[in-house]
Amino acid sequence: MKRRLLSWILILLLAVPLLTSCGQTQTQGENTIKPDTTSVAPNQPDTPKADEKVVLTMGSWRADDKAQMDKLLAQYTAEVAPNVEIVFQPTNPPDYNATLRLQLENGTGPDLMYARSYATGLELFEAGYFGDCTNIPGILDNFSDSNLAPWRTPDGKMFAVPFAAVSHAVYYNKDIFDAAGVSIPKTWEEFIQVCETLKSKGYTPLANGLADEWDILECFFLGMLPNYVGGADQRVLYENGTKALNDQNFVDAYTDIASIKPYLPSGFEAVTYNDSQALFSSQGAAMFVDGSWTISVYDDVDFNWGVFAIPARAGKETLITFHPDMAITYNNASKYKKEAMDFLAWLCTEEGVKKASASLPTGFFPMIKFQITLEDVHANEFLALNNGRKTDARFVWPALMDLYTPMDQAVISVIKGDISPQQAADNVNNSRQ
Amino acid sequence: MHSSYNRLEPRGFYWFLYTIPALLVYIFFMAYPLLDSIRLSMYSGTYSNMTFVGLENFRKIFFDSEVSTRYVNALLNTVVFFLYHMLVQNVLGIIFAVLLTQRGKERRNSIYQTIIFIPTTLAILVTGYLWKLILNPVWSKNLLDAIGLSALAQPWLGKESTALTAVSLVSCWQWVGIPMMMFVAALRNISEDIFEAANIEGANRWQVFWRIQLPLIKPVVGIVAILTFVNNFNAFDVVFAMETANGAPGYSTDILGTLFYRVGIAGQHPIGIPNPGLGAAIATITFLMLIAGVIPVLLKTRTKE
Repeated sequence: MKRRLLSWILILLLAVPLLTSCGQTQTQGENTIKPDTTSVAPNQPDTPKADEKVVLTMGSWRADDKAQMDKLLAQYTAEVAPNVEIVFQPTNPPDYNATLRLQLENGTGPDLMYARSYATGLELFEAGYFGDCTNIPGILDNFSDSNLAPWRTPDGKMFAVPFAAVSHAVYYNKDIFDAAGVSIPKTWEEFIQVCETLKSKGYTPLANGLADEWDILECFFLGMLPNYVGGADQRVLYENGTKALNDQNFVDAYTDIASIKPYLPSGFEAVTYNDSQALFSSQGAAMFVDGSWTISVYDDVDFNWGVFAIPARAGKETLITFHPDMAITYNNASKYKKEAMDFLAWLCTEEGVKKASASLPTGFFPMIKFQITLEDVHANEFLALNNGRKTDARFVWPALMDLYTPMDQAVISVIKGDISPQQAADNVNNSRQ
Repeated sequence: MHSSYNRLEPRGFYWFLYTIPALLVYIFFMAYPLLDSIRLSMYSGTYSNMTFVGLENFRKIFFDSEVSTRYVNALLNTVVFFLYHMLVQNVLGIIFAVLLTQRGKERRNSIYQTIIFIPTTLAILVTGYLWKLILNPVWSKNLLDAIGLSALAQPWLGKESTALTAVSLVSCWQWVGIPMMMFVAALRNISEDIFEAANIEGANRWQVFWRIQLPLIKPVVGIVAILTFVNNFNAFDVVFAMETANGAPGYSTDILGTLFYRVGIAGQHPIGIPNPGLGAAIATITFLMLIAGVIPVLLKTRTKE
């Protein structure tokens, strides 16, 4: 009898959390609509008095830029908004999307944060976490249409303020090039020739590796891809299915990326992105195909270096992958929406962008319409690669993000020699839904 | 035992009150999250917008080729990962324990015991990173060339054929201290009389091990096997530290833990949109496998009273 009573108590205890958890799902669904409705009126009790200092946090995946961003944000406090202090709180780059999502879902997200372009950012806006930036003064006037596109919803709303773009090119060690008697290649054939010459003289031509998987695709393959498929007008034809992802252009691109294998470091399968950087900066490799965001890593090296565009095959046009990378947005659930939006409005003014790009990390290029000159020599050299050349975003970002992983695996397998260039192109084409 | 139960009987089931604090902690921090994740496995969508889909997630794991390819691959890798631990970590654990419980060498024993146990106290993110550098020919080639072992300068972590073995062995190196300590404790518990008797009977070292030591530590062998099984099927950090969350190269080190992390928590780079329902379904299947694996072993190795 007593035993039965006991088991009833146990069942009851177990059932209570079960029941409450069922109820939770319903309230969770309602919660998502809430932030939008409250967006009109920010929390009244938390609006600060004039003499009180408001502290905002800013989330970012740019852990390397802490010093520069701290300087910029301090400048903002000193010159523009004395009662607002913005604290830069970056996350380890590969974890940013996951961490930010977790923070936002639990209501502990930063007040301001970096927003990824295209689908990744759009998804967080549609979930109600990112604030609506369409009405921030200056945003629609001071940026070109193509620079707004990555952070615009299909129905024309802006979910972030464009902040910076990154570029892709070949870093090369001028001292090694002089010593080996080679010069900047103008075509892909010359590029391979340069690699061959460097190798025959005992240098490791390229620092790139495969271990981290993302860099070989994002820096190298997507960096060179516009040379094979053409600019944005051609990319659209692949996106809408007019052109197949296993056409001759793609087979050529996979053929060429496969041909770099002999020029990679020994054990390139296990070489990580950090290893590549260390190899290039310790003169262990003569070239490194990478993004502009690493310019400042080589500030202190004791050799001369420069950058050149990843060259197209002879007879084809060389293009630059100039990728809209960073935008900043505000948290829809922030207590200090007004202060956050004021900061974003500042980033839409010529004055603000000038200040920002002066302390913007090297290798990140402003996207505003006004003419901005950069202080860093290498950054200017990088930006100058755009002169007279067409540019485009990374191929898969605007509309074919589902192909990221298949293309990444195809590139890695084709370099290792596990599959042929034709198979690589077919694999990617087949994985298109 | 029986008599004390009777003595409490007249006072009813008040003893139950004393278990309530522990029971509450257990329910809210163990049972509830577990049941809730089983519930979650029947939903799809992200946290902000969940819809009930019944067993759809489970169907996907086994029959949707895109998901099932990855799942089956991760499951097989996990089994291999587990077998490496059983064969290398636990066998070494027993060998070390037998060597370190030899009589008359207490000083030597305690020094080695500490050395072998030290890696266990270090964070896997640190040791994993160190091993990643050691196993990388870019950094280790010069040293290996200098000592005439150039053949060992291979990208062990970069080749599909060797990556899982390398990662498993690093994990074994890290954790061998735990089974060793448990076996040492069990071996020290064996009565001295038995060894004396065996000695008088003329048993050699080998016979002592097979006929006396191993049978008497059988329950501990069972416990260690269960712990290894549970830890390995929940493993994640060693692969994350050494081979990224993708289980590089080419998913050859992708285990259930990393697959679950990618699917349920982080989402696939670079979009990073997780599918918590599908992730919870993966976790639920792992949980069922653990139950199915643990109970028979527990029953089998339980010593008779």
